Amino acid sequence: LTAGNKIFHFGPCRVSISMTEIRSGFTAIKDNIQARDPIRTLSILSYPHSLHKVKSSDRCCVTHHLFNFYMDKVFKHCKTEDSYINRKISSIANSFLSVKRKLEQCHEQNKCMCGQESTEKFKQILVNYEGLNVTSAAIKSLGELDILLDWM
Amino acid sequence: DALLPAPQNITILSTNMKHFLTWSPVIIQGETVRYSVEFQGEYEREYANESWIPICECSLITATVCNITEDISATVAYNLRVRANVGARRSEWGALKGFFNRITTSLTPPLMKVIADGYHLLVELEDMGPAFQFCVLYWKKGQESRMQQKVVKEVSSVVHLDTMEAGPDYCVKAQTYVEAINRSSSFSQTQCVRAQGGTSMWLV
Repeated sequence: LTAGNKIFHFGPCRVSISMTEIRSGFTAIKDNIQARDPIRTLSILSYPHSLHKVKSSDRCCVTHHLFNFYMDKVFKHCKTEDSYINRKISSIANSFLSVKRKLEQCHEQNKCMCGQESTEKFKQILVNYEGLNVTSAAIKSLGELDILLDWM
Repeated sequence: DALLPAPQNITILSTNMKHFLTWSPVIIQGETVRYSVEFQGEYEREYANESWIPICECSLITATVCNITEDISATVAYNLRVRANVGARRSEWGALKGFFNRITTSLTPPLMKVIADGYHLLVELEDMGPAFQFCVLYWKKGQESRMQQKVVKEVSSVVHLDTMEAGPDYCVKAQTYVEAINRSSSFSQTQCVRAQGGTSMWLV
């Protein structure tokens, strides 16, 4: 594995992800984005249970759900007045799109099966998300991206 | 005011994962023409209402080239456009014909220096950035069938390949590999050296 790419093994599903590019994009905006999130007592990804509680057999499905979640419900609601931040969000979002496609292929080849637990976990994340207004929920979710990256 | 012509001949020069947008200058007698560049990734087309993102380092510049490397940071198809500005006047956007995907970057063989340090066969490789790995092949001259390989994932100063016997020539060649686009360069020229009791001998 280079400092650039990392091969993720989700059971039979193998996905090469440019982790360094995603992390450097996020590191560049993390403080700014987290400063825009006034609600420190809530978590979208980790409430009530941490992602680390997800069974390994469910990891692929949860990862697939989460990449779709960020594409469909997070990045688009995080536009800021800061062009530099917007460029970094675009960078992360385009990298996510590239990974989402690979996870989709695994899903279509039945290599990324969803169990009851992963479905429940993802439902909880959506409940947490919908408990806030869209922009706050999106900004909080983006600010928690390192939780997802660390868990992966 | 006559309409400002849009920039023409918009092209991408991409080598070793460094990407530059270039275009022909717009000539307006007695005026300084400035240019602004924007990009649009696949995400913007599919999820963000086909929005465009300005590159501030290439906003109102007089040069006719823009380094877009930092913004082309995913292996997806990008659109790029540039327009001319003279004072408050603006041209239409001139767009790159077709998409640009970094998978098409041209990869050149790495610069390499082979060193015989006594009986140690060493190689010095060019640092081309975190996206690059190197595949180094080395063999005793005449024994190509027993070629050995070393993959170098992160360039440190010098890489130790082997301990040589006195007498035979040892030959080395290398290529780059970029995992983000799953492609390799062609191999470098072969360089051969020979160990002679601690003195370097170059044989090419």
